[in-house]
Amino acid sequence: MAKAEHTVVGTSPARMGGVERVIGAGIYGIDLSLKDELHGGILRSQYAHAKIMSIDTSEAKKVPGVHAVVTAADAPDVRYGRTYIDRYMLAKNKVRYMGDPVAAVAAESPALVKQALKKIKVVYEPLSVVLDPEETMKPEAPILHEDMPLPKNLPADVKVKNVCSYTPVHAGDPDKAMAEADIVVDEVYETKMIHPQYLEPRIAAARVEPDGRITVWANAQAPFSVRTDVARLLGIPLNKVRILSTELGGGFGGKASGITSGAAIEPICALLAVKAKRPVMIVLDKAEETISTTIRSGAKMYIKTGVKKDGTIVARTGKVIYDAGAYSGFGAMAGARCTNMLGGWYLMPNVHIDGYVVYTNKQVCGPVRGPGGPQAAFAVESHMDSIAAKLGMDPVEFRLKNTPKPGDKIVGVPKLRDVSLGETIRTAAEQIGWGKVKLEKNQGIGIATGSWIESAGPGGGAVVKVNEDGSVTVHIGKIDMGTAPGFGIPLIAAEELGIPVSDVTVVKVDTDASPWDAGTVGSRAMLVSGTATRLAAIDARNQLFKLAATQLEASPDDLEIKDKQIRVKGTPSKSVSLASVATAAHNVIGEVIGRGYFDNVAMVAEEKARGSSQPFTTHACIVEVSPDTGNVKILKYVAVHDIGFPIHLASVEGQIEGATAMSIGQALCEQVVFDNNGRTMNPSFVDYLMPTINMMPRIETTLVDGYPGSGPYGAKGAGEIACVPPMAAIANAIYNATGVRIRTLPLSPENVFRALREAGKA
Amino acid sequence: MSLTINLTVNGNTQSATAEPSTSLLDFLRDTLNYKGTKLCCNTGECGACTIIYNGKPINSCVTLAADANGAEIVTIEGLADGDKLHPVQQAFIDTGAVQCGYCTPGYIISVKVLLDRTKEPTPEDIEEAVSGNICRCTGYTKIVDAIQLAADRMAGRS
Repeated sequence: MAKAEHTVVGTSPARMGGVERVIGAGIYGIDLSLKDELHGGILRSQYAHAKIMSIDTSEAKKVPGVHAVVTAADAPDVRYGRTYIDRYMLAKNKVRYMGDPVAAVAAESPALVKQALKKIKVVYEPLSVVLDPEETMKPEAPILHEDMPLPKNLPADVKVKNVCSYTPVHAGDPDKAMAEADIVVDEVYETKMIHPQYLEPRIAAARVEPDGRITVWANAQAPFSVRTDVARLLGIPLNKVRILSTELGGGFGGKASGITSGAAIEPICALLAVKAKRPVMIVLDKAEETISTTIRSGAKMYIKTGVKKDGTIVARTGKVIYDAGAYSGFGAMAGARCTNMLGGWYLMPNVHIDGYVVYTNKQVCGPVRGPGGPQAAFAVESHMDSIAAKLGMDPVEFRLKNTPKPGDKIVGVPKLRDVSLGETIRTAAEQIGWGKVKLEKNQGIGIATGSWIESAGPGGGAVVKVNEDGSVTVHIGKIDMGTAPGFGIPLIAAEELGIPVSDVTVVKVDTDASPWDAGTVGSRAMLVSGTATRLAAIDARNQLFKLAATQLEASPDDLEIKDKQIRVKGTPSKSVSLASVATAAHNVIGEVIGRGYFDNVAMVAEEKARGSSQPFTTHACIVEVSPDTGNVKILKYVAVHDIGFPIHLASVEGQIEGATAMSIGQALCEQVVFDNNGRTMNPSFVDYLMPTINMMPRIETTLVDGYPGSGPYGAKGAGEIACVPPMAAIANAIYNATGVRIRTLPLSPENVFRALREAGKA
Repeated sequence: MSLTINLTVNGNTQSATAEPSTSLLDFLRDTLNYKGTKLCCNTGECGACTIIYNGKPINSCVTLAADANGAEIVTIEGLADGDKLHPVQQAFIDTGAVQCGYCTPGYIISVKVLLDRTKEPTPEDIEEAVSGNICRCTGYTKIVDAIQLAADRMAGRS
């Protein structure tokens, strides 16, 4: 990471689009308005599980000002989903959670939409409801998806119901190793569903164009996947659909519909626009948003570990029950990730963990900031402290003892190229004052580590166009929700083309013009689009050098580009402006257009050969626990990360701080609460409870030097990993303060007080 | 029954009709086209719709347009002086406190009112001033930095 050779990447200039955001001029999805638009609304199931006996829309259609009423009968008999294709756009035959879309209306005003929705008569035959992820697997549970088979890889002797994905993580001989262990610790941990709670509501707007094509505006993280779904679900050719992205007011995975069986409001909106023959816009209100969009899965995790007296871990067994909610959504991917991560990121020679992703009659789960990771880490890193306590060993020392070395394998990763885990542990321990800080009564100190995938996934491209004034436009398939496309990507183009960052524009996604992309998900914006942008900028630079070479009477290889000038290396006086070369290109090739790709297959092959360079992290905190109220106050919080080379420093810090805050929320207060009928009890901010400034400590972020990742300049993805350690770090600090181990989230005053009282400490 | 609402927005006199049930937020956004003020919870819980109403920061989503007759209102669109950003706006950009930016207008309004009142806000003042604004992106760390930087610049300390 020879940082000195770079002049732009590694700094923290103002984000692209910053000014428009602070003056209120950014056009978010919710700020759209289309000429002659109708308002759209969705009728949602009031039962968590029921047969649909009949739907009568005749009265709704009679309401003056209503232009379309649609049900499943108005759309092709096509389902969608990620791994399991198990969901209709509008429910057909059955509803499976309280919020399942059943019908939709387009009308002249929101009031008329409401009136019409009330006049749709749906006759349901209620079925028994199953909400608990373990109960749903039992023989007596009702079946949610009669026509979906159990996973093919499920062993024949495993008798379960409502399982949509099974992940076996088996290696070595854990039974033998467990029998030979000096100490065995066996625990059960549980996390609840939480909502991503981005601030901007989900919207969709759709218009049928004069040529018959459909334009859909979406504040979605994966516009190309939305295109796929709109085309499939409406039964129209892909090339008849165009998706335009708006600014996104937050996403965190929750707006990644299209890549999951998510909220699916875009296809519904498109269907309404087709039927109404008018543009239609749907805006979800807060309560509807909270009950109907995709959220983070809850997980129940059985974890058992055998260790030798000297602290060497010898085996782990366990089981993950990962709650997908009513449809499989992103469950198979996230559940598999959670199952692998329950094996930890330490040396683990023998392991046997089975992961089951299950259906329940609850809201559908999708990818939320590190899908599967935060849940697993709560169990793994709390469990590490439980083992350390039983060993009588210091938690830091115990972790360092089991830290892998370069070339070692960990569960789910065949070979590590380099390992910064130990460095992050030591740095965090030092910063929090481990073993040194004097703690007052009721105060405790806690530490927890984490890792995240440098994930394989689809490739992606970039196009860099050089305008005749020397400025550039960058075309990628990723959207800017406060992440790399607005912060780091412009720096890369500026670095490689010797121009100011302000001369770079990253263009919003238009599926007619942007390179295909899987979406702004999975900590992959920098890895995929950053890599592609760098290569595209270098391609453009090579073309510019070729064009300038004759004029400068030099070989293209002898040229360099800096301060908007192309010049001969070592002879700065021999130079020509970038603008004049870009203008001269008009007469030759028209325009300099650089192309670059992130080649996923090549990256996977390289990682197989060289080993993977995972990002690692350690968080540590000091808390104060009130024995009178159970309230937990975080007094100090440090987050130490290896994310390789930070391309936009402030943005990397911002991602770490924001992700940490989300998990502090899940640790201390957040959960989606369901009553016995499956109704969401807290669909508002007041009832949901998420961190406000009052409960947040300052997040003290440190980036250790670490090792280069596979991203541009050695960057690693930074958007999700900070979600991994906080819950266990806080739980461990509470244990340190009180001697009470709490294994179910959230660590709310109520739950902490109850646990303290049960232990006779409150 | 429509009501005629006369009010001043960012120094401009405006007059338009609204239903008795129309919120001030919807009136500003949909009738007068001030879309910089953001809609989020619509129940006064998140602060995204914060505006200055007769000198005080309020949640415009839980205020009726009808009650704003005669009011003097400042929205996010009214802070910059031409191309020159208000110091609070500039500080939010400079510190990296603007991620998705959706909560940003509400924050900037709350902070402007704070810094109009005091040049040397204590940490408690800062916390109190934005305790009604929710941000999901930043974890609040860079927002606190932005507020402190704006305060320092406005007081000539930085």
